[in-house]
Amino acid sequence: MPPASLNSVGLSLNDCIKCNICTSYCPVSQVTDSFPGPKYAAPQSERFRDFGHPFYADGAGPISRTLAAGQMPDASVDYCSGCRVCNEVCPTGVRIAEINARARARIVAARGISLRNRLLGRNELLGRIGSIAPGLANFLLHNPLSRRLAAALFGVAEKAPLPRWHHHTLNRWLARTRAQRLRGERKVVYFHGCATQYYEPFVGIAAVLVLEHLGYEVIVPPQNCCGLPMLSNGEFGAAESYHRRNVSRLIEFVNAGYPIIGTSTSCTLTLKEEAPELLDLENDAGTRALKLATWDIFEWLRERLDQGQLPSDLRPLHQSDQPFILPYHAPCQLRAHRIGKPALDLLARIPGLDLRESHARCCGIAGTYGYKTEKYQIAMDVGAELFDFVAAQSTESNQDTEGSLSFTACDSETCRWQLEHGTGLPSRHPIELLAAAYGLYDLHARRPADGN
Amino acid sequence: MLDLLVIGAGLTGLFAAYTAARAGLRVRVIAHGAGATHWHAGTIDLLGYLPNGQDAVANWTQALPELPPAHPYRLLGVDAIAQALDEFQHLAAAAGLPYVRAAGATDLNTSGPQAEPISQRDAPAEQFHDPDLGQNAALVSPVGAARPVYLAPAAQQAGNLEDDRPLLIVGLDGMPDFYPALIAENLQRQGRLARSASLPLNQLTKRRDHSPLQLARLLDRPAAQAHFTEMVVDVAAAGERVGLPAVLGLNDHTRLLKKIHQAFVSRDPNTARSQDGQGSGAAVFELPTLPPSVPGLRLDTALRARLDRLGVRVEIGMEVCGFHAAGRRIEWIETETGSRPLRHTARNYLLATGGILGGGIYADRCGHVKETVFDLPLTAPQTRTQWLRPLFLDRRGHPIFQAGVSVDHRFRPLDQSGGPVYDNLWAAGAILAHTDPIRERSREGIAISTGCAAANAVVRGL
Repeated sequence: MPPASLNSVGLSLNDCIKCNICTSYCPVSQVTDSFPGPKYAAPQSERFRDFGHPFYADGAGPISRTLAAGQMPDASVDYCSGCRVCNEVCPTGVRIAEINARARARIVAARGISLRNRLLGRNELLGRIGSIAPGLANFLLHNPLSRRLAAALFGVAEKAPLPRWHHHTLNRWLARTRAQRLRGERKVVYFHGCATQYYEPFVGIAAVLVLEHLGYEVIVPPQNCCGLPMLSNGEFGAAESYHRRNVSRLIEFVNAGYPIIGTSTSCTLTLKEEAPELLDLENDAGTRALKLATWDIFEWLRERLDQGQLPSDLRPLHQSDQPFILPYHAPCQLRAHRIGKPALDLLARIPGLDLRESHARCCGIAGTYGYKTEKYQIAMDVGAELFDFVAAQSTESNQDTEGSLSFTACDSETCRWQLEHGTGLPSRHPIELLAAAYGLYDLHARRPADGN
Repeated sequence: MLDLLVIGAGLTGLFAAYTAARAGLRVRVIAHGAGATHWHAGTIDLLGYLPNGQDAVANWTQALPELPPAHPYRLLGVDAIAQALDEFQHLAAAAGLPYVRAAGATDLNTSGPQAEPISQRDAPAEQFHDPDLGQNAALVSPVGAARPVYLAPAAQQAGNLEDDRPLLIVGLDGMPDFYPALIAENLQRQGRLARSASLPLNQLTKRRDHSPLQLARLLDRPAAQAHFTEMVVDVAAAGERVGLPAVLGLNDHTRLLKKIHQAFVSRDPNTARSQDGQGSGAAVFELPTLPPSVPGLRLDTALRARLDRLGVRVEIGMEVCGFHAAGRRIEWIETETGSRPLRHTARNYLLATGGILGGGIYADRCGHVKETVFDLPLTAPQTRTQWLRPLFLDRRGHPIFQAGVSVDHRFRPLDQSGGPVYDNLWAAGAILAHTDPIRERSREGIAISTGCAAANAVVRGL
């Protein structure tokens, strides 16, 4: 095996053997000429940019270093959605998506960032502002006139599936139900991410209920955005300050030996790998400790299953005799963890559940990508593969069981919104399904089974 | 617990997983990246050249005894190889990707090629006494040379050089790495009637990306198929057979092949010898291209679809970074993740990681050659100066490409003393020693036959 390097991103381009497998799988270059494909955009172009090399005479970092004339990355790299399918299929381990992310950061460092991308990167701030008066915020954002204005003025795609603020945050629910929360010796830390806090607190509720059902006290400490939306949009400086704040807020729990468990696959991926790698923080002790303590919730639950610690009181998800058909899409951000598809192992335990595994490469939305007017159609074209897969399961279910699909499942929030937008079916996090199968959660109303 | 964990998702790993899963085993496949199938020409080459032979092998069953005794084919014997190929043809046919004997004079008036492997399957004993067994045929290569092939995708079979019909090689303007004039000129030098032509792509698509895969996706569309058929028929003269780059569709290429063939037949009934547009008598055939190789992708898709039906999960993006053994048993292996290593436990492990190109063997600058997963003992040249011969295209090949793992007759890797290193570890495919699949033109034959044999050995051992 090649020796590990100090800068695994930059040097990994030397492992490229030009086999074109990444080009065969890239969902974006399949549907548009705006992106020339992973091989051209990353390893081939990177050779002509001198910042790929980790060692500089002046000791400057890879992003802040000023560029020599003519070495500005081509603007087409902005059309990489960052889905990481290229990394997944590359047989030699080139960090293609990360090379592209760094190239975008170089462009932003030299030319600045648009107001739109700056806003899309700040979903924590948007979430917090909106949650002051969710009803008003939803009205202001979601009426047709403002969507048209947002498209015309900022370039936020008019039809893209923007989330709605929930009437309460996860923190409010935790405060309200404090008396009912489990206390105990065994503890885990829950990293909810911005989407769960402000838009989908019920996903966090389902996670807390399942973890407590296993006998663990769930600690939800103050936390920040993981920084991924900023990393995707090339704002590395802001992302770094968010990441450092998360490290300082979580490190005491990490040092106490508690696992940091998340339901958002992108947030956990950022804590594990994206922030350390892209921001060159791999040697930062706190970053490294947090990286090793972070788990996707199903990755952690699979360990409990393997050790025989998972309660077996799982019930069918509905009453009728017909199987409950559920198309499941493992999002690219989960596949980038390289932990397999742990949700499949757990959901397979639910009686009467007919799981259908999607092999679609990407739903298209890729975080903030599909929200941009110039990229909305690309995102929908990329997602067609997944939408067609879901539609095919639906047809099949009609013939076989005379029922129809009621849900899809996916681990990542923006992917669920895109799935709902593309298929018209409601989508659920697998943890909601598991919580429902334990009788803790109402899958339709998205609230605890006991009404709280 | 899994009965078998296959490491590697190329032809070897996927076919081994298929064989084991069909025998009822619980199987999973993990791999660092998508398999080398994506680089394949799509044909199943059994044995094209002997280590010291100048001429192409006419029949591999007769050439087998001339291979060195440790060669994987010698461990298997003709019957086991033929049986594995038979299984492969059956799988491919069931997945809608028919493979035929390249040398078979398929009379397509009575039965389609899909029927062939199935009838063979019903009467295996008969097949082994079949006079055509092992007969190679020379197909046109992407530079117009002769390429010894045993099984060909039905779409490539009419590229047989024993056929005396004149050849028209048609390229597409703007498609990279495909040179119809070069192919035709090389064919003329070998005394064949051949010419070339080129078709404009701008009438078919506005896209600028003209990679083989993109063109294949385009030609899956009915409107593009109709237009393309017209263009091909216009450029060909009566009596010619047409060679096209292998881009005639990713999911639906047989339909386009038939369409073009029927257009020829309706224009001039003497053009072709086949009724349905497939096999050796067809008026059109595909020529493999550089990667991304569409025939290789079709094969990968077919294999994965069959595995999906058998409930076998294929997980890509997993690089093995460690393992644990107790005595002569491997207890678990670990793959690297975004955080801590991930542990995989199974009763048996099958190593199908490939050779130097596939990543199963790593050769460094200092001359060390290493098996990348279990650090198994390798049969390899002692020093770096012995790796390569001075001439790049030396007919004897290069010693480094014979480097690999030595196995017993059950395909378990052996240590220096000649005993199995582990009792539950098996190896197959390009990682095996005593064979140079590039030089021998035996890559796919080794993959299918040893993958099948190793999987069967696992099944018998349970």
